[in-house]
Amino acid sequence: MSGQTHDPIEFELFKNAIFSVADEMALTIHRTTYSSVLKDNMDYSTAFCDAQGRLVAQGLTLPSHLGSIPAALAAVLRRFGDDMHEGDVFALNDPFEGGMHLPDIFLFRPIFVDGERLAIAATICHHTDVGGRVAGSNASDSTEIYQEGLRIAPMRIYDRGRPNETFFTFVERNVRVPVKVFGDLRAQMAACTIAERAFRDLVGQYGAGKVVAYMAELLDYAERLTRAAIRDLPDGEWRFLDHIDDDGVEPGRPIPLQVTLRKTGDRLVVDWTGSSRQVKGAINNTLSFTRSASYCGIRSILPANIPNNEGYFRAIEVVAPPGTIANAVLPAACAARGLTGFRMVDAMFGVLAMMLPDRVGAAGDGGNTGVSIGGYDAERRPFIYVDFTCCAWGGRPWADGLDGNSHMFANMSSQPIEVTEAEHPIQILSYGFIPDTMGPGRYRGGAPFCREYRFLETEGVLQVRSDRRTFRPFGLYGGLPGKPSMNTLTRDGATEVLPSKFCITIRRGDVFRHEVAGGGGWGDPLERDPAAVLRDVRNGLVSPGAARDDYGVVVDTGRWAVDEPATAALRRELARARGGAPPPAVNRGPAPAAAPEAARAAE
Amino acid sequence: MLEASPAWRVGVDIGGTFTDIVFVSRNGEVRTRKVSSSVGDYGRAIVEGLLAVFDDSAKDGGGFDGRSVAEVLHATTVASNAILEAKGARTGLITTRGFRDVLEIRTLRMPRLYDLHWQKPPPLVERYLRHEVTERVNVRGEVEVPLDEAEVEAAVDALLAEGVEAIAVCLIHAYANPAHERRIGEIVARRAPGKVLCLSAEVLPEIKEYERTSTTVINAYVRPLVGAYLTKLIGSLSGISVGAPLMLMQSNGGLMTAEEAARLPMHVIESGPAAGVVGAAALAARIGEPRVISFDMGGTTAKAGLIEDYEVSRAAEYSVGGGIMVGSRLLTGAGYQLKVPAIDLAEVGAGGGSLVWIDPAGAPQVGPESAGARPGPVCYGLGNEQPTVTDANLALGYLNPTHLVGGQLRIDAERARRAIAERVAAPLGLSVEQAAHGAHLIAASNMIRAIKAVSSERGRDPRRFALVAFGGNGPLFAAGMAMTLGLKRVIVPPSAGVFSAVGLLCSDVEYHLTRSWRRLLLGLPVAELAAGVAALEEEAASRLAADGFPPGRREIRRTARLRYQGQSFDLAVKLPDGPVGPDTLAALAEGFGAEHERTYGHRAGPEEPVEIVGLQLVGRGLPESARMPERLQAANPVPAQPPRPAYFGARHGWLETPVLARADLVTPRPGPCIVEEYDATCLVPPGCTASLDGFGNIVIDIQG
Repeated sequence: MSGQTHDPIEFELFKNAIFSVADEMALTIHRTTYSSVLKDNMDYSTAFCDAQGRLVAQGLTLPSHLGSIPAALAAVLRRFGDDMHEGDVFALNDPFEGGMHLPDIFLFRPIFVDGERLAIAATICHHTDVGGRVAGSNASDSTEIYQEGLRIAPMRIYDRGRPNETFFTFVERNVRVPVKVFGDLRAQMAACTIAERAFRDLVGQYGAGKVVAYMAELLDYAERLTRAAIRDLPDGEWRFLDHIDDDGVEPGRPIPLQVTLRKTGDRLVVDWTGSSRQVKGAINNTLSFTRSASYCGIRSILPANIPNNEGYFRAIEVVAPPGTIANAVLPAACAARGLTGFRMVDAMFGVLAMMLPDRVGAAGDGGNTGVSIGGYDAERRPFIYVDFTCCAWGGRPWADGLDGNSHMFANMSSQPIEVTEAEHPIQILSYGFIPDTMGPGRYRGGAPFCREYRFLETEGVLQVRSDRRTFRPFGLYGGLPGKPSMNTLTRDGATEVLPSKFCITIRRGDVFRHEVAGGGGWGDPLERDPAAVLRDVRNGLVSPGAARDDYGVVVDTGRWAVDEPATAALRRELARARGGAPPPAVNRGPAPAAAPEAARAAE
Repeated sequence: MLEASPAWRVGVDIGGTFTDIVFVSRNGEVRTRKVSSSVGDYGRAIVEGLLAVFDDSAKDGGGFDGRSVAEVLHATTVASNAILEAKGARTGLITTRGFRDVLEIRTLRMPRLYDLHWQKPPPLVERYLRHEVTERVNVRGEVEVPLDEAEVEAAVDALLAEGVEAIAVCLIHAYANPAHERRIGEIVARRAPGKVLCLSAEVLPEIKEYERTSTTVINAYVRPLVGAYLTKLIGSLSGISVGAPLMLMQSNGGLMTAEEAARLPMHVIESGPAAGVVGAAALAARIGEPRVISFDMGGTTAKAGLIEDYEVSRAAEYSVGGGIMVGSRLLTGAGYQLKVPAIDLAEVGAGGGSLVWIDPAGAPQVGPESAGARPGPVCYGLGNEQPTVTDANLALGYLNPTHLVGGQLRIDAERARRAIAERVAAPLGLSVEQAAHGAHLIAASNMIRAIKAVSSERGRDPRRFALVAFGGNGPLFAAGMAMTLGLKRVIVPPSAGVFSAVGLLCSDVEYHLTRSWRRLLLGLPVAELAAGVAALEEEAASRLAADGFPPGRREIRRTARLRYQGQSFDLAVKLPDGPVGPDTLAALAEGFGAEHERTYGHRAGPEEPVEIVGLQLVGRGLPESARMPERLQAANPVPAQPPRPAYFGARHGWLETPVLARADLVTPRPGPCIVEEYDATCLVPPGCTASLDGFGNIVIDIQG
């Protein structure tokens, strides 16, 4: 370490202090936000950057924002770097100039001490609506960015403390719920104010010179920790391929996600070359979002104490050719790119499992399903209901996949059913695990749930973004894939199957049902502890038939006991029937009929 | 000599390692006793401790016994341990068809980012003991699907056949219409008379099905155990002639009778930590200090609480066994959700036993791993070789180099010093004192995050508060932390090491009632609000009356929870005293705007609709006379020790430091000095002045 220039104790104290400021900013947004997207999905981030725009400390916030701030701040600095003043605030959301997707509005506030810019406070919030053709600005079936809402290039929205009225008026006229948007912008401003106050205290305590030096050292410190951890991993190259079912605009056309991991010494390269070219539907990533997914995957196998800052990123290079789904160019639509991000994290787990078979689990449900229901009530008042649900993790080399837990990439919280019914013209008819859907394995996949929504208004628009219908959550090292997701609509007593992504008009009394995909299993199901199978059968998560067929376990449901001799015999028989071939490392289930050809076409 | 009327009030605080007992007499005499907790049969240590105090009094002429005890006030970990160790009752749950898994799905969120190893806490009721019945009430409380009673009977019979000891019932929207839950209750009572039964609409009539289900289940899960514990304890106490009433500390800081605690044990789960904050609030009132931050540091954790306008700050819900993490306010999902008001505490894993270590990038770290009570710090010589915070304090000269706890515990200072030299100082290239001082400062900076969590993270400037420090280690760190944070004053009460037990003696009987009640403020008919408030007032009145408080000795405080429509977080605002009238609505609107501004630094314009989301009421039973005497006489005085060198950082270096008894501070003394007592050591660094106030508190004033 650059030990000569600083005191290790004082540095540790400084590190605690500056991260607590970033967390304090996050709490400010958490408490003052208007939108449940922000609060329940924790879809916001806060951070501190140094005067050059390097990310020094990011709060305990959304993993999918992990790599986004440097790119955004660089865009602001390119335009305004030499023209910043005390009291200025800058905003942007344009994916093609620093942003990620339009609902995510970045706010930056330079912090001056004695006339010198020493730091920049940064916040990102996912806003409820930023205009565009579909309420919520989240539609997966837009085909160009121009349909998705207001594009805000890097812009000065406060000039030396005075609001830029042109900006605010323009926003006010172009979003559906200006009260919420302005409320959340105020929350972002409040977080920046807190940051400024706290930063000035730090300068008062340590002096400007030391604060600047410690911010730089904090990056080096994170880099050292990261490189030390990477050095312990094996050198080599690993590849993994998975597919998104389709983009909803061209149904049935699979979208490959190809990732290559190269590790040499203390350096990692995550290369997305070979992934689909950018698609028509709105699931294209910016490079910054692809970085976030890559960083998130790698963080999950590194020690927890590495600070979230740019030093961590230095040891990891992320490659994604322009014009691909991993690094889209104009006029790509990207509002619903969350799907691609989740699936990239899953692909990261896949490639990491090739590198470290004992440290990473099988595929989970594939991340959030987005359900939005919008329209106008009898008095022409708009309503927008946006729900994200996900719940099943893949089986892990040491434990079952989690049942009813958020995807790691977006640590969201569910919205209570009773609150949903109090605030929206919707009734939830059921919300619970679906039996026999988890990928069997020595450690089974997590249990998915279904949710049934009955619509109570005259008419509305239902828009759904789901996946993992064709390409199932993969199992690993003998584990089997989870069951696919499913969407149905019941109207006037008749039930029809709907595709994984769609947008339809619904009427009073219609019931939409979504089943999340089951997590993939890990390891040979015949090696699963029979007591664990018994517990699942007793709990109604695995049927006695599936216990027999998938696990070779015979359960006596009268005594709630495992029939040990019958189980031993059945397991021997099932093993023999396999013919001794070792199971594949990755089990995706039977290949979809049209998929190989379509996959080639997509590439 | 026996007194004519009982003269002693007794506080008993059971902790993980020690059970603290404090006797206070009407004239302020204090007797304290620390005994080892008797895990498994907690009541035994209580009886032993009380008998020991009676014995002492026989020897020193105090001459009192069980009949001299006026009341026993109790904080216990019995209920929280049952949850953490999964040793509660075998419990069944009955719920609405379609919602069997609400309890297990929880809120989906996990408390740690990027953690592939996360395991959800197992549900307190396994899936096969969760039964669905056909019925549905809608959000307005209207029955849409009638209750299928045959299914209820089948579900109850199935649970009884499984041998459940308790049954919880939580139906969707039962807070809006409890009829179906009540009917299920009748059926349970008929088929299984006397079975423990908890209905969500009675336990927590509030919106949000997961929180209500979890709370109802926790209450059912711990009820048989808590009930048995209290019955047994009352029996053991009367066996030693203590027939005085037994009262329990609630998580919210109020007392409740043992009978009420046996019925609603969910209120007594965090009783120990609450007691210390209540003590700090009572102290604040006594000395006229309206704004106080309480700071309680023991062997493994440190906790901070906020007192403002002499009022303890409370949270509407918390998580039992949520673990200790600063980010827990953001990253929920650990432990078991309990939606009952509790004193709002921020906790960090920093205590005397926290380990000092070097991370792979060469940075010194403190905790969260702890050496615990056994093997404990290196200086105990019980086998731990990794230095702890206590070892650092010892190497700095802050602690007595030969013994702790008034001589009860021998220690080896040289061993501690050597461990720091080898494991911390050498890798960092620092001297032993620099390394030890660094560890002390890093521990302090971790604990500062807890203080910030209850103050600046909620818009309160900590510099406007005084710090009340207690627990075995609190008084060692308080002055240094106050200097870093810019606080001006630290107060160390008498018996600081057993202060939570003292706090028990400062509390009143309280009932905290809450209701979901959602209305827009604009255009709200006043009569509707008045009726909502009156319903709560009646319930509080009847419960206080049952505890023997006549109308003249009841204090009622009413608050509403408000938010801007569309916000997902609300703030509590007091209702003005007196009848609810048109002015009440205006006062609520203004009070909310002001509170929003104070907490978050901004408020919306007057056109922004404000919504009431809940009503709350605290009914307090007032004692006939003051609970605590004016002044407490410190117990177990320790004789003064010779001065010793202590290290105060590069600026001051080693200073010859006087070691004093509390009484010596009658004459104000400049720092550095050290006050050694039976249960705690207080450090007064250079740049501070320590004195004694009229109530026996050490007051440390920080210059500059």
